[in-house]
Amino acid sequence: MDTENLNLFEFAAFDELESEHIAAPRYSYWKSVWRTFFRSKFTVAVSILMVALVLFALIQPLYSGYDPKVAPNINDPDMKFLTPSAKHIFGTDNIGNEVFDAVWAGARNSIIVSFAATGINMVIGVLVGAVWGFSKKMDKWMIEIYNVIANIPFLLLAMILSYVLGAGMCSLIITMTCTSWIVVAYFIRTQVMIIRDREYNLASKCLGTSTWTIITKNILPYLVSVIMTYVAREIPTVISYEVFLSYLGLGLGASNASLGRMISLYTSFMKGYPHLFWIPVSVVAILSISLYIVGQKLADATDPRTHM
Amino acid sequence: MSNEDREVILSIKHVDVTFETGHKKKLVAVKDANFDIYKGETFALVGESGSGKTTLGRAIMRINPCSAGEIDFEGKRISGKISREEDRNVVRNIQMIFQDPAASLNERATIEYCVSEGLYNFHLYKDEEDRLAKVDRALESVGLLPEHKSRYPHEFSGGQRQRVGIARAMIMDPKFIVADEPISALDVSIRAQVLNLMNKLKAERNLTYLFIAHDLSVVRFIADRIAVIHLGEIVEIAESETLFKYPMHPYTTSLLSAVPMPDPVVEKTRKHIVYDPSVLDQSGEKREMREIRPGHFVFCTSKEFEGYEAKMAQMEQEKG
Repeated sequence: MDTENLNLFEFAAFDELESEHIAAPRYSYWKSVWRTFFRSKFTVAVSILMVALVLFALIQPLYSGYDPKVAPNINDPDMKFLTPSAKHIFGTDNIGNEVFDAVWAGARNSIIVSFAATGINMVIGVLVGAVWGFSKKMDKWMIEIYNVIANIPFLLLAMILSYVLGAGMCSLIITMTCTSWIVVAYFIRTQVMIIRDREYNLASKCLGTSTWTIITKNILPYLVSVIMTYVAREIPTVISYEVFLSYLGLGLGASNASLGRMISLYTSFMKGYPHLFWIPVSVVAILSISLYIVGQKLADATDPRTHM
Repeated sequence: MSNEDREVILSIKHVDVTFETGHKKKLVAVKDANFDIYKGETFALVGESGSGKTTLGRAIMRINPCSAGEIDFEGKRISGKISREEDRNVVRNIQMIFQDPAASLNERATIEYCVSEGLYNFHLYKDEEDRLAKVDRALESVGLLPEHKSRYPHEFSGGQRQRVGIARAMIMDPKFIVADEPISALDVSIRAQVLNLMNKLKAERNLTYLFIAHDLSVVRFIADRIAVIHLGEIVEIAESETLFKYPMHPYTTSLLSAVPMPDPVVEKTRKHIVYDPSVLDQSGEKREMREIRPGHFVFCTSKEFEGYEAKMAQMEQEKG
C-alpha cells in the first residue's frame, strides 16, 4: 500500500469502555411478550374470536333482557320448536323462547362464574402458595390441611353447599372456590420450592432482602408463565364444571339462565329437534376451546425463552 | 509483620457444619475449622470439590448454620441466633461474591434493581437521584457503564455479569468479602481482569477477602495466606509463599504437584504425587493444629509432627 492511501487512515486511541457497550436493542419483558403473542396469525384469529364471544355474551343479554322465568309465547303453539331462520337465529324452544337469547344469557353467567372463581382461586392460591413454599414451619401443618381438603369429593361438597347456600351465582362461586384455592396454593408451593434455593435468591438473602420482597421480586416474576398456564387450564375447567353442576341441578337455579340446565332440558328433544341440544353444547365448546388456546399462547409468550 | 500485632476481623472457632442426609444420617461437611482472618489480608481457602470450602464460606454468610463452634466478626459472635440490629450490621459488613454469575443474578430484574437491592434494604440513599448516582458510581467502579442500568442480566457476558455481582456487593460498603470461586465460571481470558479488579477494590476500600478456590495458580497470585481443606478438615495453614515453598502435609504436596506449569520443559518433568492417606500416622491419636514454624500450622499427630519437623529442616537446608 502506498503512502497516499495510508493517509486515509488515522490512529484511534484504544478505549476500554467502548467494548462494554451493548449494541442490541433494549429488552422489555412485557413488550416482548406481546410481540411473541401476536407473531402468529392463528393466535390473533383465535384471540379475536374469544374477545368477540366474551364481549357478545356479556353485552347481548343486556339488550335482550332474557329471563328464564318469563315465557311470553308459552300459549302460542306457532312459536314453539321453530327451526333456525333469519328471524329466529337459533330457533325457539319448547315454551316458545328465543334460543339465541337464552344461549347468550347462559354463556354470560358461565363466563362471570368462571372468571370470578378463577380470579379468587388464583389470588388466594398464589399468595398462600408463595408463603407456603418458603416457610418450613407452615409447610408442616399446611400439608396436612391440604391432604384433608384435597380429598373431599368435589361433587359431595357441591351438593352439600347447594343445599345449604341455595342455588345462585354467589353460592356457585363459593362452591368453586372454597376448596379449590388450596390446590392452586399447593401447585405454587411446589414451584416456589423448586426455585427458592437458587443462587440468586441466596444472593438476595445475603443482601438482607426480606422474604416478602424475595417472593414478589425474585420468585413471582419467574412464575408468570407457569401461573398463566394454570389460568389457561382453570377458566375452561370452571366453565365446564358450571355447566356440569347446572346439568345435575346443583349449579345455577331456575331463576338464572344456564347453559348446563339448557342442555339437560333439551336432551329430551334430541330426536325431533337436535339443534336445541347441539347449539348450547357448541357454544360451550367454542368458548372453552378459544379461552384455552388464548391462555396457552399467552403462557407461551410469557416464557422469556420464546422471546429470541 | 507478625500475626500477633494484626487485628483479627473474622475468627472461626472450632466450627462444624453438619447436614442431615436422611433419617439419623449426618454428613459432617466441615470438621473443627479453626482459624483467624486478619484485617486487610486475602485469605484463601483451597481444596478439591466436596471438601467443604463453599460450605464454610456459606456458614460465614449464615446460609448454612454451624452445628458446633462459633464465628466471630470484629469480636462479636455472628453465628447462631443474634439480634436483628446485629444481623443488619453483619449483612452490611460481610458480603459475598458468587461463583456462577449467570445463576446469581435475578434474570427478571434490571441491573439497576440488582445493584441497588442492598440500598433498598437498608435505605442507604437520600432520594431517587442519590440512589441512581450511587448505582452509577458502583457500575463505574467495576468498569461498567451507567447506560447498563436498564439492561437485563442475560444481555451481558460472563465477565460483565460477575462485575455486576461485585458492584452489588461493593455498594454496601462492606469490610469483609467472601468470594466463592469468583472466577472459576469465567472464561480464562477475562479471569485476570476480574482478579485485578478485586485487587484494585481491595486496595481502594481497605477490604478483607476470604477467597475460596480450587485453582492454586490463581490463589498464589491473589492470596496472602492459604488454608488447605480436605474432606472438611483444614490440614495446613501458612503464608502463601511458605506454603508453596515448604508444603508439609502430604495432601498439600499432592495438591501442589497437580498445578500445571506454563513452561513446557518443566511441565514434562513434573511428577504428579497421588495423595495416599496411609502414609499418615495410623495410631489413632487425635490430630490437632500444630505450629511448625511461626504462622505455619499443620494438622497432625505428635508422631507426624516429628516427621514434618525433619522434612522441614531438610527442605530449609536444600532451599537455603
